[in-house]
Amino acid sequence: MQNFDDKLNSILLKVEKPARYVGGEWNTPDMSKRTDGDFCFCFPEVYEIGMSNLGVAILYDIINKQPNFVAERCYAPWPDMAEEMKKAGIPLFSLETRKPLKDFMVVGFSVGFELLYTNVLYMFDLAGIPFRAKDRDDSYPIMLAGGPCSVNPAPFEDFFDVIICGEGEDADLEIMKIVSNGRKQGLSKIEILEQIKSVQGAYVPSLKKDGEKVVKAVIPDFENASYPEHPLVPNIEAVHDRATVELYRGCASGCRFCQAGFWYRPIRERSAERCTALAKTMVESAGFDEISLCSLSTSDYTGLEKLEEGLSDFCKEKKVNLSLPSLRISSFKPEMAKDAKKNSLTFAPEAGTQRLRDVINKNVSEEEIEKIAIAFEAGYESIKLYFMMGLPTETDEDLDGIVEICKKLKWLYYQKRHKRGLNISVSCAVFIPKPCTPFEWEAQITLEEMHRRQMYLREKLRQVKGVSFSYHGAETSVLEGALARGDKKLSAVIERAYALGAKFDCWSEHFKWDVWTQAFDDCGLSMSSYVGAIDTDKELPWDFIDSGVSKKYLLAQRALAYQGITTKNCREGCNGCGANKLGRCTI
Amino acid sequence: MIVLKYEKTGRACFISHIDLLKHTARTIRRAGIPVKFSNGFSPHALLFFSAPLALGVSSIAEYLAIDTDMQADEVLSRFNANCPEVLKASKVFTVLKNPNLQGRVTASDYVFPTAYKDIDLSSGFVVSYKKKGEVVEEEVADKILGVYNLDGKLCLRLATGNNNLRPDRLLPRLNEICGEDMTAPNIVKIAQYANVDGQLEEVDSLLSTETQNK
Repeated sequence: MQNFDDKLNSILLKVEKPARYVGGEWNTPDMSKRTDGDFCFCFPEVYEIGMSNLGVAILYDIINKQPNFVAERCYAPWPDMAEEMKKAGIPLFSLETRKPLKDFMVVGFSVGFELLYTNVLYMFDLAGIPFRAKDRDDSYPIMLAGGPCSVNPAPFEDFFDVIICGEGEDADLEIMKIVSNGRKQGLSKIEILEQIKSVQGAYVPSLKKDGEKVVKAVIPDFENASYPEHPLVPNIEAVHDRATVELYRGCASGCRFCQAGFWYRPIRERSAERCTALAKTMVESAGFDEISLCSLSTSDYTGLEKLEEGLSDFCKEKKVNLSLPSLRISSFKPEMAKDAKKNSLTFAPEAGTQRLRDVINKNVSEEEIEKIAIAFEAGYESIKLYFMMGLPTETDEDLDGIVEICKKLKWLYYQKRHKRGLNISVSCAVFIPKPCTPFEWEAQITLEEMHRRQMYLREKLRQVKGVSFSYHGAETSVLEGALARGDKKLSAVIERAYALGAKFDCWSEHFKWDVWTQAFDDCGLSMSSYVGAIDTDKELPWDFIDSGVSKKYLLAQRALAYQGITTKNCREGCNGCGANKLGRCTI
Repeated sequence: MIVLKYEKTGRACFISHIDLLKHTARTIRRAGIPVKFSNGFSPHALLFFSAPLALGVSSIAEYLAIDTDMQADEVLSRFNANCPEVLKASKVFTVLKNPNLQGRVTASDYVFPTAYKDIDLSSGFVVSYKKKGEVVEEEVADKILGVYNLDGKLCLRLATGNNNLRPDRLLPRLNEICGEDMTAPNIVKIAQYANVDGQLEEVDSLLSTETQNK
């Protein structure tokens, strides 16, 4: 009889990238300390993606910093590994101590994307945990969910005991304390859940009474909030394999399609001093050769210059590269391009014409697009442009605008550099109406229309030399739209889709459109009814969550959108969205 | 130039060579070992590894050359303070120039977790394994350079480098012959040999000579 480790070792040799499953990363906290309870963070994607998630890293670190709690991790095993585990009778286990999920006190899932819902069930399944909370007795861990999808937990709420709406920093820890005390006192699961219900942001589906609200959890002191200064160093190359410093939460731009921009309010900045110190400690502790600055719009960060100054000598000395993602055209400064490697610039105008950019409140003007010329002068030879199609009020003229922008950039490049050869890569996503945005009532364009517009744009762009065009899958966009604004009935659809073989829906090689359409059919529901226009008087499945931003404000923004009137950046003055009742905006 | 002899055991045997390169560069950065960088467009640390170890196999005889001016003992202690137990260095050598072990090593000794048995190679030794999804059969007797008894355990000297033989590929046949159920992580590489004037010389002693020549 082989012991567990031998059994696992022989499996590991049969699967792709075995280092995904062995743990032991540098900076792994002490797992041997005596504890009053353990937490397993589950991320429903593969190791390389899960290890890149900052939210999980922050929360994992907070629990492990406690003298009496430990947190471990678990990622979705790739199907080859799942297959072997099933054959060998090994249930899903944590990386750190190889403990089955079922044996933890609390298991928490980070749900960041609608297309991960089937992977949640996939992990439950591999762990031998019944899908529905009502089918689990007191012997199972308290099953928790959190992350960006908590904006609308309805489609998956039946699978969990508790859903943390908003920021988990404080909530997770409070829940750990409640569960560990409750277990010591011999309380039942229901009694423990009743206590958890009082934690800000904690939504306990089984105990929710009609008319009750859940107030989003917001950490009050972002400046001094706990941060993983000693991050885990991935065993195999992660998607974001670097020191990541979170500069601020929220966004001052107020783009009307952007869920994160509204959901993460109030806006809270961290000082350049603290960010500089964090970056240095992380590099020294982990040995990363790259620092990335993370926020919804990094070039809008007040302390950016100070931070760059503070890190410039350090980066030179340590041969560390400082990378700046998600730049907005309006805040592009030539100084930023000065020291950087001139490989590629990324900008997101989101829409092709000024009219449509005004509708979505993407405050990027034609003159500002012309400012890209500065980057060409600075030596850049390739540019990535992000757009969305299917935005409310969009016509073919707006798509033509995308082509015009490309032509204009080529012309600007020629003016500045007196040569051709600018590489433009246009990436076009499909607009998905999301909860907690002024567009939460909008219709999504139909699948056929998505295909038509994609082909239309492809043809037009084909005529412009040097432009490459990529676009999101139309089918996945429809599904994402349906799940994003879904109600409780969709939990049955998710279960059905998983039973029919849907998992890893984010991976094109695994995405099964026919399985999803059948799952909706089998449950007697129509996918298209979830992506149509919603009457503004209708009660929405996520209305019971108080995100701070009032419905009145969202409706007013919607009205302005239809009139093509923009709203000023929050930095120029408060627009009164209401989020500051949950915490002060610090900009 | 400093050469570290390090191990790759336990969980580390599942880390691929390419990931190990990144891993080691980070260890060196954490340790604050001032390694020299290449001068190219994307400067990289001047680190030189011995030939890749097959994924899943353990070793206590891997080598890493580091282009640094730091004293050998300092490098060794800093390195070990900043890397996981399963990748610790056991010895350090100071050499004049990059010993180019990747190019010079032609044989390695592997200990198998089974009692010594005289393996008859006279009628050949065919192994089969999957390559790009297809089962390949290969005659490898000429790549098994020696069969030894090491403290009662089976030890094989296998060709390494350009004409490489992965020890794990022998397992199905060996398990049959020895009546065992051995897996790759329990195979341990214990020594590497370079070809010096037609003779195999153990790398530790080779590096010591190159140090003395300084």
